[in-house]
Amino acid sequence: MSISDASGTRRGVKKKDLIITPDDKILVTGAAGFIGNKVVEVLIQYGFHNLRCFIRPSGNRARLDRILDSLPWIRSLEIMEGNLLSEQDCMAATRDVAVIYHLAAARGEKSFPDAFMNSVVTTRNLLKSTLENRALKRFVNVSSFSVYSNTRKRGMRLDESCPLEPHPELRGDAYCFAKVKQEAVVTEYSRQHGIPCVTFRPGFVFGPGNEGITGRVGISGFGVFLHLGGSNQIPFTYVDNCAEAIVLGGLRRGVDGETFNVVDDDLPTSRRFLAMYKKNVCRFKSLYVPHAVSYLLCYLWEKYSSWSEGQLPPVYNRKNWHAYWKRTRYTNEKLKNMLGWQPRVPADVAFDNYFGSCRLKRKNA
Amino acid sequence: MLRVAILGCGKIADAHASQIQRIRGCEIVGVCDREELMARQLYERFRVRQYFNDLNKMLKVARPDVVHITTPPQSHYALARECLSRGCHVYVEKPFAISFNEAQDLIDFAGKKGLKVTVGHDDQFRPATRRMRELVRCGFLGKRVVHMESYYCYELGGSGYANALLSDKNHWVRQLPGGLLHNIISHGIARISEFLTTEDPCVHAVGFISPALKNRGENVLKDELRVIITEECGTTACFTFSSQMRPSLHQFRIYGSRNGLLLDQDSETLIRLRGERRKSYLEHFVTPLTLARQYAENSLTNVRLFLANDFHMKEGMKYLIQSFYYSIDEDAPLPIPYREILLTARIMDRIFEQTNATGSAGIAHRITRPLSLETPCLPN
Ligand SMILES: NC(=O)c1ccc[n+]([C@@H]2O[C@H](COP(=O)([O-])OP(=O)(O)OC[C@H]3O[C@@H](n4cnc5c(N)ncnc54)[C@H](OP(=O)(O)O)[C@@H]3O)[C@@H](O)[C@H]2O)c1
Repeated sequence: MSISDASGTRRGVKKKDLIITPDDKILVTGAAGFIGNKVVEVLIQYGFHNLRCFIRPSGNRARLDRILDSLPWIRSLEIMEGNLLSEQDCMAATRDVAVIYHLAAARGEKSFPDAFMNSVVTTRNLLKSTLENRALKRFVNVSSFSVYSNTRKRGMRLDESCPLEPHPELRGDAYCFAKVKQEAVVTEYSRQHGIPCVTFRPGFVFGPGNEGITGRVGISGFGVFLHLGGSNQIPFTYVDNCAEAIVLGGLRRGVDGETFNVVDDDLPTSRRFLAMYKKNVCRFKSLYVPHAVSYLLCYLWEKYSSWSEGQLPPVYNRKNWHAYWKRTRYTNEKLKNMLGWQPRVPADVAFDNYFGSCRLKRKNA
Repeated sequence: MLRVAILGCGKIADAHASQIQRIRGCEIVGVCDREELMARQLYERFRVRQYFNDLNKMLKVARPDVVHITTPPQSHYALARECLSRGCHVYVEKPFAISFNEAQDLIDFAGKKGLKVTVGHDDQFRPATRRMRELVRCGFLGKRVVHMESYYCYELGGSGYANALLSDKNHWVRQLPGGLLHNIISHGIARISEFLTTEDPCVHAVGFISPALKNRGENVLKDELRVIITEECGTTACFTFSSQMRPSLHQFRIYGSRNGLLLDQDSETLIRLRGERRKSYLEHFVTPLTLARQYAENSLTNVRLFLANDFHMKEGMKYLIQSFYYSIDEDAPLPIPYREILLTARIMDRIFEQTNATGSAGIAHRITRPLSLETPCLPN
């Protein structure tokens, strides 16, 4: 027997390959977030209804309410409000859960302490609270591509064996620092306490709800959009596809301790994406900055920042250039081979949805 | 070498660490936070000597000469007192304490111990503010200060801070006697305190919840404040805090008996306002040109400072910290006189007494005694 999603499509995971039954309790943190609420949706489609959705009181409940409204017959879905900075809230959240999907994190946060607090301290609290919990079968940690430094040769393939950034404090990127430290905390707890963990590192997750253009394509803010990606492939993953990968990682037997990069098939180049965006959403002026020039600019910024003791913050530097703007290839082989994952939404449909939502957002702005 | 420690490793501690490291002759010997992970991240990023999760241990092991207290305001008093009692000078982030009494007690205690304290009113030491102070000292305003206007606004908007504050009914900012206002306005009040001459001026305050915040379901936190301050000698001041007005100003205007000055913190400009009028149409033709020239000069000054690497976002903090350390080392006067710290605390107490008395109803439309021309003091 294999699991079917709501549309009746058979998903490649047999019930005997699952580590839990549909009656087991599942916790999703960051459930009101962009990816979190999709994870909830996919879990429901997979037939797992005994869900505890953990959200902050400030979280956008509307997304979850929409899911609940469309499925009035689901009674076992619990929305728990709290903050993972509170150890008590963590204890309450993790009580009796068999699988934890941990998606809560600080995103778009420029301050290091804030990013750290909401990604690392929260993760430690959550892990600590699971120590008493004998029912826990898996902890799914959602990390990010930003943990890779990728200083190897240009054009190389980035896969799960690539080293993490050894000095995230030098990347000038609060998010990267927090995510590297978050992974370190998970690894430490997993080793010391034998918590069965699986880690996901999604590329850039796009879709309705995240309409921005990734910095891997280019940056605005200097009066004109600087196109930095050029012919680089951009590691996109559509939110539904990413959520499904994460869900599978929490359910499948035999993947404890594994890490999965998440990218879709048919990744467009930065140039192609920009052309599609301009055609489908809006026209704007962009200036292509060749890779050698962007490298030089990052180098100069880094040197000036260090000489001036931070008069300009070190947000552009060579490490960041390697991570975001160097030509790199991506793979999802491991995801397909070990989890049986396939992108449920093909690239053309995914981009259509995304551009449609970008247009809507501009119209309502 | 002055040994420095930081207590509380949140957002503002980052600014302290980076500015302290720009000052020669001192070293961060320890950072401490009850949450050890927070202490460790600061230690790793700034490569300081040690990190701790216990204040006592830090004071014993790291033996700092100065402790910077960068924790939430409710804890300032107890922590500062503990550090003073263990022989450390103390730099306390703003607001110095949560009441005048606490502020007075800390200052007295420091005096008894032969130690020094200061408060993190670093905006008072930004380049344009220092130029303003110099002009006032040289008598540019004339014989006395007549009136001041201080704007210290904060764009609450849809920021993460706003969301967290509005949704969390136990947020530490809500526990402060003056709520959101308490956490923000001391910079703007201190600007006024600096130029007041009496110890207990009259304060008339109106605080209310903006319609925007009300629409978001808030019925306790006040985010709009208007204050009038008057002294027996006739000096007056207005203070405005707003979360809604745009532009969200951080301005200070000071008018003397001869000339005025306009300080804009956002554009880091200082404009001299001539007291004397030009003849007839010349006022319309020449004055805009002289103002334009002044703005251009400000712009060039800022570029020059930037090129000289003296224009960091937290330049004022570096200046204040350095002056404080100098005052400790050389037994020189403190950069912020104690009377200014106390006056700021007293004015804030007066403000919150009144804003809290109006409850959450919004603007209190009460009939008050009309202003008398002879007595500039307003009803309290
Ligand atoms: N989006 C991407 O492109 C991308 C790429 C790679 C990896 N990721 C990772 O995927 C995960 C989910 O990202 P997302 O895009 O869905 O971000 P998101 O929309 O910002 O969701 C994150 C959620 O975490 C919650 N949260 C933050 N601090 C919390 C705390 N202290 N206690 C409880 N909840 C807290 C936030 O609550 P509020 O709603 O109250 O703020 C938010 O709902 C994150 O771990 C992120 O790093 C995302």
